[in-house]
Amino acid sequence: MDAIERPGCAAVIGAGPHGLSALKALLQAGIPADGFDRADDLGGNWNFGGPTSRVYESTHLISSKPFTQFPDFPMPDSYPDYPSHRQVKAYFDAYADHFGLRERISFGTSVVRVAVAQDAPETPFGPRWDVTVERGGRQWMIRYDAVVVANGHNWSAKLPDYAGLSDFGGEILHSADYKGADQLRGRRVLVVGAGNTGCDIAVEAAQNAIVTYHSTRRGYYYSPKFVFGKPSDQIADLLLAARMPLPLRRLAFAATLRTTMGKFEDFGLQKPDHAFFETHPIVNQQLVYYVGHGDITPTRDVDHFDADGAVFADGSRADVDLVVFATGYLAVFPFLADQDALDASLGRPHLALQMASPKYANLWLSGLIQPDSGQWTIAHWQGTAIADFLALAQRDPQRARAIHDRINAQRERRFSGGTHYKESTRHYYEIAHQDYLEVLEDFLSEVAT
Amino acid sequence: MKRSPKVVRRREWALPSKPVHLEVLPHEVPGTDRPPLLFLHGLGHGAWCYAEHWQAAAAERGYSSYAMSLRGHGGSGGQTRLGRTTVRDYVHDVLQVMTSLDEPPVLVAHSLGTLVAQRVLQRYPARAGVLLTAIPEGGIPGTMVEGMRTRPVAFTRAVLGGTLRFKPEDLFAQLPAEQGRDYISRIGRESPWAQYAMLIPEGLGPIGSPLMVVGAEQDTLVAASDVRRCAAALGVEPVWVPGGHDVMLDGQWQAVLDTVLDWVDRTCASGPPLPGARETAPLELD
Repeated sequence: MDAIERPGCAAVIGAGPHGLSALKALLQAGIPADGFDRADDLGGNWNFGGPTSRVYESTHLISSKPFTQFPDFPMPDSYPDYPSHRQVKAYFDAYADHFGLRERISFGTSVVRVAVAQDAPETPFGPRWDVTVERGGRQWMIRYDAVVVANGHNWSAKLPDYAGLSDFGGEILHSADYKGADQLRGRRVLVVGAGNTGCDIAVEAAQNAIVTYHSTRRGYYYSPKFVFGKPSDQIADLLLAARMPLPLRRLAFAATLRTTMGKFEDFGLQKPDHAFFETHPIVNQQLVYYVGHGDITPTRDVDHFDADGAVFADGSRADVDLVVFATGYLAVFPFLADQDALDASLGRPHLALQMASPKYANLWLSGLIQPDSGQWTIAHWQGTAIADFLALAQRDPQRARAIHDRINAQRERRFSGGTHYKESTRHYYEIAHQDYLEVLEDFLSEVAT
Repeated sequence: MKRSPKVVRRREWALPSKPVHLEVLPHEVPGTDRPPLLFLHGLGHGAWCYAEHWQAAAAERGYSSYAMSLRGHGGSGGQTRLGRTTVRDYVHDVLQVMTSLDEPPVLVAHSLGTLVAQRVLQRYPARAGVLLTAIPEGGIPGTMVEGMRTRPVAFTRAVLGGTLRFKPEDLFAQLPAEQGRDYISRIGRESPWAQYAMLIPEGLGPIGSPLMVVGAEQDTLVAASDVRRCAAALGVEPVWVPGGHDVMLDGQWQAVLDTVLDWVDRTCASGPPLPGARETAPLELD
C-alpha cells in the first residue's frame, strides 16, 4: 500500500477532550493536523452511546467547572457547577465548531496501526510515522511527521478474576456496559468497586434495585460535592492557594469530612486504612446517605462466588442476581507497532512528563493522567505543551532534542504533590493537579519562543 | 524577555467569577467571509458607544460585529456588585461572550478595555486584537502625571476609589460641546479595582494573535508615551489616528474605523480560524 504523504503534518488519534485540545493546540501553533476517531461523532467517553463512551444516563461531573473547563473556552455561565454528560457533550461540540476542528477529523475511521516508516527519510527530530486507518472495510496508510495518541484510558474494561465466578448463576455486567438505572430495576444487585463509578451505580441501585450490596476492598473517604455551600474542590483549592502544607491540608480535610459527613465507621463502612490524598478522591454525597437508610449494605472484599451470589472476606454472603463490576479500565494501545515506545514493560507506561514517549521525540500521548481534580484544564495544557514542543522541534531540532533528553531522564518522577499513592493499577496515572501544572508551566516557558 | 503562560490560576479556580447577565448588541452580515468583530468598551462606557456609528459602518464593509457591555456597565447585570468587581471578572465576561460566537473574533478594545483585552488574548486565540488608546500592562506613569497636573481633582478622586469623571474635552476633540455632554451623560460608574489594575503590574503571558496598537493624536487622557510603551511591550509599532480619546464617537470616527478595518483586511485571511488549518487542506480519504 502506498502511503498518502502529509508532510509537516501531525496525526491525532481520538476525538475526545484530549484529542480535541491537542488538535486545536497544533493548529493554533501553525502545525497542520488530522484527527481520527472510530466513532461517528466527537466526544469520546462523553459521546453517550458511542463505541468508547462509558458514561451513563445520570453521569455528572465530579469536579466543578473552573477546574474542568478548557481555560481558553470556559463553560457557559448557564451551566451548573457540576454539568451533566449531555451538557459536557454540547460543550465539546461548541468547542470543536468554534475553532473549526470538526472538518479536520475523519470520523468512523479506526486507527489500526502506527508504525515507524521504514523507507522514508527521518525528520530532524524523529522518524516519520505510517498511520494505517480503516473505514468501511477499506484501509489507507498515511505518513506523518508526528503522532499524538489520545485514545483514552477509560474504555477497555478491567475484569477481575474471582474463584467461582463461572459458577455464578446470575448476570454479570461491567460498568463499561452500564448505561442507566433500567438495568438495575427490580434486581438484587452487588456492586463491586468503590471508584466514582461504583459509588454512583451503588446509589442508583439503592434507588431502583430490590437490595444493594456494595463491596470494597478497603475503607475510603467519601467527599461531599458541596461544603459550606460551595463546590468542595473550590474550598480545597482555597487551602492550596493559601499555600497550606500537606499535613495541615489533611487535617483541614479530616475536620471538614468529620463535620459534614461524620465518621464512616458509624455507618458500618470500613475505616479508611490510609491518609487523605493517598487514593483517588471519591466524590459522592449520597452513598453514605443510602447506607444510613439501609438501602445499601456495605460489604468487604469478595472472597469467592457461588451459584447464588458472593461470599465476602469476613464470611458473610449476599444472594444476588446481578453483579456489576465497577473495577475500572486498562489503558491499551493496540495499534502501536513498537510497544517499547512507551517503556511499559512493568505494566505502567513510563513517559516523560507523563506524555512523551521516551524513545521517539515525535510520539506523544495526551490524557494518560488521572488528576485529583478536573481533567480538561490539564488536557488543554498537555495539548499546548505537545504543540509548542513540536513547533520548537521544527524550528530548532537540536534544542528540542536536548529538552526531550532532559524530561526523559526524569521520567520516574510522579506528580503526587508529596503524597504516596496506594499501590494499585488504579493509581498508574494519578497526578496532583497543582503539582503537574506547575511542571507544565515551566516546560511551556522553556519551549516557548 | 521570556514570558511564561499562566497555567496555574489558583484564585480563578478557588474563587470563580459569579455569572451575570451580559448585554451583547449583534449587528450581523449574513454570509460574510470576514471574521466577526467583538467590540469592548472602556472605563464606564458600554456597548452603546460602538452601536452609535461603528457597528453599522463595519457591516457596510462586510464585518459582522458584536458590542458587549462588561458587568456593571451599559445594559449588563452586576451593577450593585460593581464595587467588588475586578479585571478578572471582566476577563471572564469577555471570554463568555467570545466563546458564545460561532468562530474566534477579532477583539477590538478601547482604553481600560485594552487592559482586559491583553489579559484575554494571552489565553485565547482571537483572530487578531486591536487596542485603541492602549493601556500598557504594568502602570500608566505618563497618563497619571499628566492627569494629576491638568485634572488634579478628578484624578485624586479616582485614586481614592471614586469613578474617574470626564468632561467633554477629555474624550472628544471634534464634537460640539452639547453632543459631547450627551455622550458623557451615558457614562456610568467604574469599579475602583479595575481602575487600580491600570496602576498595579500583574505580568502578562505571551500573546499569539496579531496585534494592532492605536493611539489618538488629540487624546488628552491616555498619554502618547503610555500608548508607545504598550506597543513596545507587545512588539508592534503604534498606529496614530486623528481625534480625541473616544475614537469611535469623535468627529473622525469613520477614518479611524477605516484604518482599523484596513489592517484587519490585511491581517486576517479568510478561511479556517486557526493558522495550521489554513496551511494544509483537511485530509480526504476517498
